Amino acid sequence: MDAIYMFFLVGGSLMALSILASRLSSMMGVPLLLIFLGLGMLAGEEGVLGVVFDDYSMAFAIGHLALAMILLDGGLRTRLKTFRVGFKPALSLATFGVFITSAIVGVIAMWIFDLTIVQGLLVGAIVGSTDAAAVFSMLSGRGVNLNERVGATLEIESGTNDPMAIFLTLMLVELLVGDIGGPTETLLFFISQFGIGLIVGLGGGWLSAKLLRWLDLAPGLYAMLALALGFSVFGLTSVLGGSGFLAIYLAGLMIGNQPGRHLNFILPVHDGLAWLSQIGLFLVLGLLVTPSELWDVALPAGLVALALIFIARPLAVLITIKPFFKFRWRETFFIAWVGLRGAVPIVLAIFPVIGGVENASLYFNVAFAVVLMSLLIQGGSLTLMAKWLKVEVPVGTVPNRRGPLGILPENDFELFVYGVENQDLEDVPIRLLRFPSGALISALFRNHTMLHPKGSTRLKLGDVICVIGRSEDLYSLNRLFNGDAKLKQERAFFGTFTLDGSAQMQDIAQAYGLTLSPGEQNMTLAEFIALRVGGHPVVGDDVDWHGIHWVVSDMEGGKITRVGLRLY
Amino acid sequence: MTLETILPPERVLFDVPGGSKKRVLEFFSTFIAQNIPSLDSQEVFSRLIGRERLGSTGIGNGVAIPHARSPHCSAPIAGFLKLAEAIDFDAIDGDPVDLVFVLLVPEEADDTHLSLLGQVATIMNDADTRQKLRKAGSQRELLELLTAKIREQTTS
Repeated sequence: MDAIYMFFLVGGSLMALSILASRLSSMMGVPLLLIFLGLGMLAGEEGVLGVVFDDYSMAFAIGHLALAMILLDGGLRTRLKTFRVGFKPALSLATFGVFITSAIVGVIAMWIFDLTIVQGLLVGAIVGSTDAAAVFSMLSGRGVNLNERVGATLEIESGTNDPMAIFLTLMLVELLVGDIGGPTETLLFFISQFGIGLIVGLGGGWLSAKLLRWLDLAPGLYAMLALALGFSVFGLTSVLGGSGFLAIYLAGLMIGNQPGRHLNFILPVHDGLAWLSQIGLFLVLGLLVTPSELWDVALPAGLVALALIFIARPLAVLITIKPFFKFRWRETFFIAWVGLRGAVPIVLAIFPVIGGVENASLYFNVAFAVVLMSLLIQGGSLTLMAKWLKVEVPVGTVPNRRGPLGILPENDFELFVYGVENQDLEDVPIRLLRFPSGALISALFRNHTMLHPKGSTRLKLGDVICVIGRSEDLYSLNRLFNGDAKLKQERAFFGTFTLDGSAQMQDIAQAYGLTLSPGEQNMTLAEFIALRVGGHPVVGDDVDWHGIHWVVSDMEGGKITRVGLRLY
Repeated sequence: MTLETILPPERVLFDVPGGSKKRVLEFFSTFIAQNIPSLDSQEVFSRLIGRERLGSTGIGNGVAIPHARSPHCSAPIAGFLKLAEAIDFDAIDGDPVDLVFVLLVPEEADDTHLSLLGQVATIMNDADTRQKLRKAGSQRELLELLTAKIREQTTS
């Protein structure tokens, strides 16, 4: 009995400590995952608590469970519309990119550790995939808002590249143990992993999404049902011989992109579950490692990590993205730099242990060291790199709080709460605000009392305003309540003047005395900028033309609706 | 070409009747045509309104900077209007506008055009400047403030 109580005590306090320590991350800029990992190591056999945990198969099971939950949440959070710009490059990175990275790291590892080629490649495959959670907790934690092309590519890449790394690892492990037949068998294995993963994931996800939307449940049950359905898809796919990780990500994607009020119950819970998985996973992995053994391979493993960060990842990104997609150089560099490794490599490193490969602890320790280095070097410099390579887009004001009213099942009205921070709104009567016609100020709070807003009510700084409106009113509302500091930032980025995307180029040329080539005469500004940017434009793309910086400042779907003019 | 030289005291207008965006631009066109005989008020108006059609020049914070090129002006011309009451200008942030800085440039002066626009924007982007301009109680005060800010900006 005591063992159970001890488990509660140690497990609970470790979790609580991890969550408290997450505050440290934002204060000191230490990557969060590193803190969890460090806490696990501190609690472990050579740390303060001296907890001995060597149960690889249990860690393996926890790893699967946690990864599945993290991927499900990742899918739920990925908006299908970001696929417009991010899907193809991400797919290229997630397949060929992983392959190239693994191969390069493999050859280098073979040379450093004096391994056979298959053993070397196994090291490469284990550290081949980037970690969605690592990348995104890092980015959103620092308030970095990437431009959509870079953000979407990284997000979709990290969600979809695990199956490839898992496949390569499994294949190489079987090759080493001698379970695998010829190349045909390998190819069949590959096809079934991805084919079944794709079909069951999309199909199961679609059915789950329909079911969740159709059912009328107690609010708390939606998230649990989504989780249960996700796990079922994962299990079914794996039983059939497909990649469960791919399937559960796709299922999440299907569920998350089926609009409806159920999503409002699902998303917050899954956010928490993903955090729980992160913390649990990293704590367990930190417990599992033996720091002194890690120390023994520190130098060679460090070399492998450096090779991954500075040679393999950049080369893979360069080869798979640059020739085929319209990425700028600085965007390509940023993507190359943000190849963060997280939990996946460490979980994958347990595969050889479970599979009974000889010298299996080497893989585990190397993977562990690589992840540590990657989190430290790449994770630690992420914000700096984003600024330096100018892949950031400023975010304006968003409502302090928003929530659905829950009245209409589709396209529901929401309540948006804003604070008045914009000095220029001070003393402005409400009727003079350019309010979107479908929206309404329902209440105004000042000095802890509620006022009944009328057209003649004058706003004051510090007022809190509740607006009822639809999500399509958000753009104008955000603009309206934009604080001075944010507005300044936006203006510095997007320029002072804004032109409509539908404006004719010849009129613009006339207004500013610009020369157009004959083909450009009949274009709208949107078409012109899209042509100059090339490929899929995203907010933040800029074009230098006639001494003016033309910056895409707003888009709807794939169309440019506003263009900023930054003057020098 | 500095702003100060193109904004003589008589073109800093205080307490201009507002009404609507169109009315204000009309008011300025008539005024400038009287001030500078070579300009035609109809022509100035249609150029300014033509520019507004491409996207409002209301840059936010209650400020608008209408601007256009005109074949009939020989040197850049500026005018400043403080409106009696704020008007709807389709501004980027939706705020009503009460500070209007108009710029007209000759057709050949394209680089000057952009640099002048940049200067005006820099001055009007300053929250403190805007607040002081709004608080100005007379044409004299307004003029002094504006000149001081323009000088401050040119020397810095």
